[in-house]
Amino acid sequence: MAIESSVTAPVAWPRRHLGKLLLFTCAALWLLWFAPHSPVLKALVQWSPALAVGFGQNILISLVAISLGSVLGLLVGALALSPLRLLRLPARIWVQVFRNAPWLVLIYFTTYVFPFEIHIGSAYVSFPDWLKVTIGLALPASANFAEIFRGAIGSIPSTQWEAARSLAFTRGQIFRSIILPQCFKRMLPPWMNLYAVITMGTALASLVGVHDVIDTAQIASNTVNMTSFTVVIYLSLMMLFFAYCYPISLITQRLERRYAFY
Amino acid sequence: MSQWLEIFVHWTAGFGLNYNFLLDAYQRGTLVQGALTTVLLCLFTIGGSLLAGVGLAAMLTSGKPWLAKPARVFVEVTRNTPTLVQLYCAFLVLNMLLTQAVGAANPLTPFAWVVIVISLHKGAFHAEALRAGIEAVPAVTMEAASSLAFSSRQLLWNVQLPLALRFALPSLINNLIDLVKMTAVASAIAVGDITYASIMIWTQSDNVLELMILILSFFGLLSFIVNCVGRYLEARLRMPGYGH
Repeated sequence: MAIESSVTAPVAWPRRHLGKLLLFTCAALWLLWFAPHSPVLKALVQWSPALAVGFGQNILISLVAISLGSVLGLLVGALALSPLRLLRLPARIWVQVFRNAPWLVLIYFTTYVFPFEIHIGSAYVSFPDWLKVTIGLALPASANFAEIFRGAIGSIPSTQWEAARSLAFTRGQIFRSIILPQCFKRMLPPWMNLYAVITMGTALASLVGVHDVIDTAQIASNTVNMTSFTVVIYLSLMMLFFAYCYPISLITQRLERRYAFY
Repeated sequence: MSQWLEIFVHWTAGFGLNYNFLLDAYQRGTLVQGALTTVLLCLFTIGGSLLAGVGLAAMLTSGKPWLAKPARVFVEVTRNTPTLVQLYCAFLVLNMLLTQAVGAANPLTPFAWVVIVISLHKGAFHAEALRAGIEAVPAVTMEAASSLAFSSRQLLWNVQLPLALRFALPSLINNLIDLVKMTAVASAIAVGDITYASIMIWTQSDNVLELMILILSFFGLLSFIVNCVGRYLEARLRMPGYGH
């Protein structure tokens, strides 16, 4: 009896979130009341297209960086798994160097060391700053992805290798049809986590003069030159990144829980 | 000292690297000062982040919603926003408000802001690691301790944390290595760390590659030291029957 009475039925939706709902309504009412008069919000609305374009630049950098990093990381990870010592060594050095270097230093490195245009044949192809930053982010991403890949392969029980070998599969066949399909599931959560980290890393692009969302926010706060606007724009910057990264982190956690035991 | 430097400069000149700026007393001084600043920054933030981490972990595992909820919100916001944006929010927004409130008597230097922001940022990550460690303490141990009339603070400090520290040590060390690398962000608000000192040098004399190799090996050395200390602590704190 005592056990049964301690389990209460979950409260219906509007009643369970009564406090949040009330807070939300108050905030909405306050916004509706003050928004048309407040110069700060007017300036924010005025600058929001520029901020959106800047954030688009951030997302572009992060997407290209994670794609480049994944392809490179797959190569490096495959090298790190090779039975030949001569092939393993460069992969280990690559991983150690790029995992242990600060991202900011790598971004400075790629920005200042690479030329601003490349000479291909007789044509000069310009090499924009954002692409250099992308490469600077792709390098540590590849090192991290190589470790994720190696860890996923290593996490498959060795009995599976033995069982497959006893069924006369070759090494390549074991990889393709037995190990890799299981690895994809295990690699997905850390890979998404890496993507979220890279997206946050794109904030560093503003330090080398890429016109991203932070650069735009700085320009905006200097142009409008109001204390409350500066407060609002930096807080909205934080909210923007949070709104993009938090769902990714939630999905990652859910996937991790789903694939945790089997 | 300067003899060894000269030998080094000659030796690297053989590879086409120009380390002549090391012989210039002024530029060498800037660089050494920057390296010292980075080391100081690391020491302060390591201490601060561990304190913040223990505090946040205590809040998260307290079981009281009015303590655990704000801590959870703080941890999630910290983990899902870039450090640079947090640094700007602190330095450009809070610092500006503080300066407007108290005028020139503002006691917080950029250095102090970097220490605060990185400590809180990494504290959130430590808190998650410690929370996992605290939750890994067997319930039987806790019951035994509370039957010996430990209060809840004594339980946390004398029973849970020592065990949780051992469970969480590998991920704490991982976080600390990340922290060492993160101090490079300090250059964004003109704290004269080694990255900032190098930027100052390479804007005057065009030797980016040489300085980059120097900074990378410096950070490599720092994270190697943290790693060694971590290994030593792991071996030192190892309890028979836990871990391997």
